Parts: sequence; C-alpha cells; structure tokens
Amino acid sequence: MTRRLLFLLALCALFSATPAAAKVRVAASLNDLASIASSVGGDQVEVFAIARPTTDVHRVEALPSYMVKVSRAQIYLKVGLGLDQWADAIIDGSRNEHLKMVDCSKGVHVLEVPTGRVDASMGDVHPNGNPHYWLDPRNGAIVARTIAEALAEVDPSHAADYRGRAEAFARDVESAFAHEKQMAAAFPRKSIFTYHKSWSYFADAFGLEVVENAEPIPGIPPTARHLADLVAIAKSRHIPLLLQEPYFSGDAGQFLAREAGVRAVVATPCCDAITAGSYLAHFDTVLHAIGDAMKETP
Amino acid sequence: MPRVAQLLGAGAATMLWLASVATAGVTNPNISVIGQPFTRWTDQAGDPSAQRAILDVGETEFVYDDYLNPYGKGFFTVSLSGDGVTLEEGYFSLLRGLPLGLTLKGGKYRVGFGKLNPMHPHALPFAERFGVMSYLPGSGAFNETGVDLTARLPAPGDWSITAYGDVLQGDSFRIARSPSLAPNDPLLDSGDRAQEPRPGVVGRLAAFGQIGDRSGIEIGLSATHGTNNVAAAARTTVFGGDAKLKLWTSANAYLLVQGELLHQRRDDAGWDGAAAAYTLTTINKTGGYLFADYNFRTRYNLGASYERFGDSYMDVTNQAVGAYAGLALLEETTAFRVDVVHAMPGTPAGAVSPDAVNTVTARVIYSMGPHKAHQF
Repeated sequence: MTRRLLFLLALCALFSATPAAAKVRVAASLNDLASIASSVGGDQVEVFAIARPTTDVHRVEALPSYMVKVSRAQIYLKVGLGLDQWADAIIDGSRNEHLKMVDCSKGVHVLEVPTGRVDASMGDVHPNGNPHYWLDPRNGAIVARTIAEALAEVDPSHAADYRGRAEAFARDVESAFAHEKQMAAAFPRKSIFTYHKSWSYFADAFGLEVVENAEPIPGIPPTARHLADLVAIAKSRHIPLLLQEPYFSGDAGQFLAREAGVRAVVATPCCDAITAGSYLAHFDTVLHAIGDAMKETP
Repeated sequence: MPRVAQLLGAGAATMLWLASVATAGVTNPNISVIGQPFTRWTDQAGDPSAQRAILDVGETEFVYDDYLNPYGKGFFTVSLSGDGVTLEEGYFSLLRGLPLGLTLKGGKYRVGFGKLNPMHPHALPFAERFGVMSYLPGSGAFNETGVDLTARLPAPGDWSITAYGDVLQGDSFRIARSPSLAPNDPLLDSGDRAQEPRPGVVGRLAAFGQIGDRSGIEIGLSATHGTNNVAAAARTTVFGGDAKLKLWTSANAYLLVQGELLHQRRDDAGWDGAAAAYTLTTINKTGGYLFADYNFRTRYNLGASYERFGDSYMDVTNQAVGAYAGLALLEETTAFRVDVVHAMPGTPAGAVSPDAVNTVTARVIYSMGPHKAHQF
C-alpha cells in the first residue's frame, strides 16, 4: 500500500513540476526579431520565425502549419505599426489563450509618421509610421530590452539572465554600429534610390540619403513617367545605385541601369537566420553589397 | 424549442458572459465595401441577351468584422444585388477560451463543406461557381444558420488536422415538389409541411501539410445530411473529397491546383394518388471539378478549369472547360478578371445533341477597407 502511494506521489510530482530545463518557446513574425530573441534568450529559449527572409513581409499567408507552431509558443513577437497584420490570423488560428503578444515597436522612434488624414490615394501608407524600424541597429537594442522584459515575465526565474543578455546585446550593437558607420562614411557617394520605403531607417542610421523611391508612392509599381523622372535625377545627381528587395520586379532596376547607369543592389530587408548574431551580421552584408556596387559604378 | 435554437442561445449566452468579463474597449468594426460590376456575353439559345453584351452592377458586399472581446470575433456580410438586401453572413466566433482548444461559431454562415463553398465570390479567380456545386443544399451557396464546433486533432510534426461538426437549421435542404395533380395530394393543403424545422448536419475532416518554406497541400473529406421533404421524410446526403496544392515556384509566383469530387444521394418525393401515400425515388449523382491557377509577378494570374457532373434533374452528364486571366492592379484594391467558359450540356437519350454554350465574363472587383479582392 505504501509503495503504491509513493508511486502515485512520484507520478503526481512528475506531471505537476515544471522541468527545470524547459525552454520558453518564442514565435516571431520576422527572422530579425527571432534572432534578437535568440541573443537575449540564450539556451533558455527556443525560437522560430514565420516570414522567410525572401518573402514580402507585407504579405504572408496564414498557413495552418504556422498556427500549429504558434499553438505551442508562449510568446509572439510582432513587428507592429500595421506591418504584420497577417500575424493576427495566425495567432487567432493557434487557439493559444496563454500566448503573450509583444509589440516590438514599443519604445522605438518611429520615422515618417503621416500627419493629417491618411487614405488609399496616398498608396500603402502605414498610418502609424514606417514599420521597417529593425533596419536601424540602434532600434535592435530597444527591441532586445522589450523582449527581455517579456521573457522575464513568462520565465521569472531567469529574468536576470534575460536582462543581462539584453544589455550585452545593446553593447554589441553599439560596437558593431560604430564600425559599420565608418564603413558607410567611406562610401564615395551617399545618395541612393530605394525601391520601397523599407530602407528609410537603414539610410537614417548610416548617413545615406534616399533621394527617391522606384515606387512613385508606397505600394504602387513604378510608372513610365516616374522612371523617366528617376533617370533625370540619377543623371543630374549621379545616383550610383538602387537598393531593392528580391521580391520586387527587376524591370525598374534594369531600366535605370540601361538609361542612367544606376546599379541595382538586391538585398533582403530581413536577416538570413534566426540564430544569435544573424541580425547584426545582416547590416554588414548589406553595407558590403552597397560598398561593392559603389566601387563598380563609374 | 428546436435544438439549433437552443445551441445558438447557449452560444449567445456564453458570448455575453465572456463580454462581461472581458476588458476590451469599445471600438467600431472594420468596414469593407466590395463592388463587383461585370459585363457578360453568351451565345446560349433562349437567353434574351444572347449575342449581346450585358452590363450589370453585380453583387455589392458590405463586410463588418472585429474582435468582440479577447476571446471572440463577430462578422457580418450584407449583400446588395438584384435580389435585394440580404444578410449573407452574420455570426460570432469564439476563437479561444473553450476547453480542449475548441472553437465555436454560431449564426448564419457559408458552410465549410469542401474548399469552394466557404469562399466569397470576390475571392474566386473565375466568374461563376462550378455547376457541380449545385449538389449542395441552397441556391447560389450552401449558406445556413447553425452552430459549428471545431477541434484541432493531434498530428505529427507541423501537420494541421482539423475536425468540424455543424448542426444547421436545415431549411436550405428543402426541395419544392411539383404537384401530382391528384385531388388528394397533401401538397395542396399542408405544403408538405415545409415550414417544420428539421436540422441538418455537416462534418468535415481536413489535413494541411507544409511543403518547404511556403508551399502546402490540403486534403479534406466532407459530408452533409438533411431533410428535403418533411412530410415524405425524403433526405439529401452529399459526400465530398477535396484537395488543394499550392506550390511557390519563386518569391512572387505560385501554382495552385484544386479539385473536388462530390456525390449526391437524394430522395425525390412524389405522391401516389391511388395509394394515398408518398413515394420516394433515390437519385445518385457524381461529379467534380479541377482547376489550375498560375499566379506570377504578384499581380497576374492565368488559369484553366474542367468540370464534369451528372445533372441533378436529368439523366445526362454535363461538361465544361474554362480559361481565365486576372490582374490585380494596385495592392489588390482593384482587380480585373476575365473568364471564358465553353459548356457542353449532356444529351438525353434519343434527343438531339444540344449546342455548346460559350460565355465570356469580364469583372472589376474593387474594395475599400481591409477586405481585398484577394485571390486564392
């Protein structure tokens, strides 16, 4: 009888206790947020991202398999500012009532916040401002602290670890940013075109000037008249390159290359992997691509 | 009190309780307006507009939806068309908070039988639903008042296997019987008791598996059963199998292949005046459709379709082939779609083969608000 009782007690203890090594499962809309979460969470988190780096982050299909993954998560990291509205369908479909949603735009200095009435005649304008804030590494440090607080809330026993790693990440950002700013400062020209307004934060961080976008207004494909205007601007201001995402048509880039010698630099606005370090390495990659293109431009 | 009404009442009571414990603020719903004007040309003999293009404002949809509280959402779709103003859909959906991860939907909605029926017409890459969809109850769409309970079943890896069960009011199953001309036909007095409720039921099992980063395959089995004539106890049962494959071939191009196979088993009620009794004739019909849609450069799509089905009321097999193309102008707020259908009606035994019918339809779908003229 005593042995049976002990066995039952042991069984209860097995099922009621939280395993000390249980990892916090973190879902993120983008690789960049997931990579920062990996840096902050260390071995205590298990991270995955929904959107692929080559996917247009404005348009992600809410697949049932994503919902299954999110149903097992404890935290969801949203970009916010109206960019990843598709995440709501995934979160709703996950049926996960214990999921903690974190808006990573919290505390970020938002650029290009429209003033006055916003309507569809202005194109795909985000009413709360440009949501591509992760492309300024300084915002990565802010996001890291936001994630640390969310992890501390979900897993208080490791709160100090999360906060400590967030501060260490902020220091890494500082040193990497100083180095990358030097790289950008050495560019022979600072004025560029971008296809979409994705790169506003990037340009702001590294002292580049986005003279014009290939899209006449956000979300609207380039028109013949607008491209003709860009050719004139490129010639008069010696614009060396067009920075664009891989999921946009290459037609505008080819036209500008042919008519005005503008080189198209294709780069994803998101980092390649969800692992720690990938977020910061992405800035190096893009800056090197820009630097190489500028060297090749007469 | 009918069972469906009891269930709906229980669902509404749950919603009210949840609303009282929720801390959500008071907000206005998202509002979308979707217009779908079209022009059509057909050579169908007997059609008053044959060989002439017609212009039609089509159906206009007003969609209202938003969260009710942290647990549920509400949806309303009001349709304006030549038939007047109708509440196409109006339901609440409890997304979380129920035990075992169940979700509950209650109200009037497009029933989740197969892949095509739940879709609103503005989301279809072609102009008209396939003829085989007429096997399902209701005219235009299988759209009923009821309660839907959904459960996600355990599955390996990231596979999603979902089971759906619905109890419906059942009115859409009714089929009006032609009078027998017998003087004792009860249709003349009681109308075959068509006003009496008899619930219908729907079941569905669907599995989705992801292929690579973004592609996926979904397969499903559906069944529905209800009473088409109350007095004669005549039933309609429909079984369906469906499959959808979506393969991304590049960052902004994908191929979608979708098909459904349906089988309808229907009792047709009659009246035997001499025996003063109802008669039942069981009809079995089978049919299906298949289409392929290639979507490229984000904004363009080209597709083709084929369907073949036993006519519901004649002993013939109908076929149709179609081709279509679409262009989403800007951010899917304005889309143009053209489709051409070559329909080959079946020939009854001993009759002269009817002419094939060609129809060309061009549509503009424009939307204001968060619901776009999204494609598959």
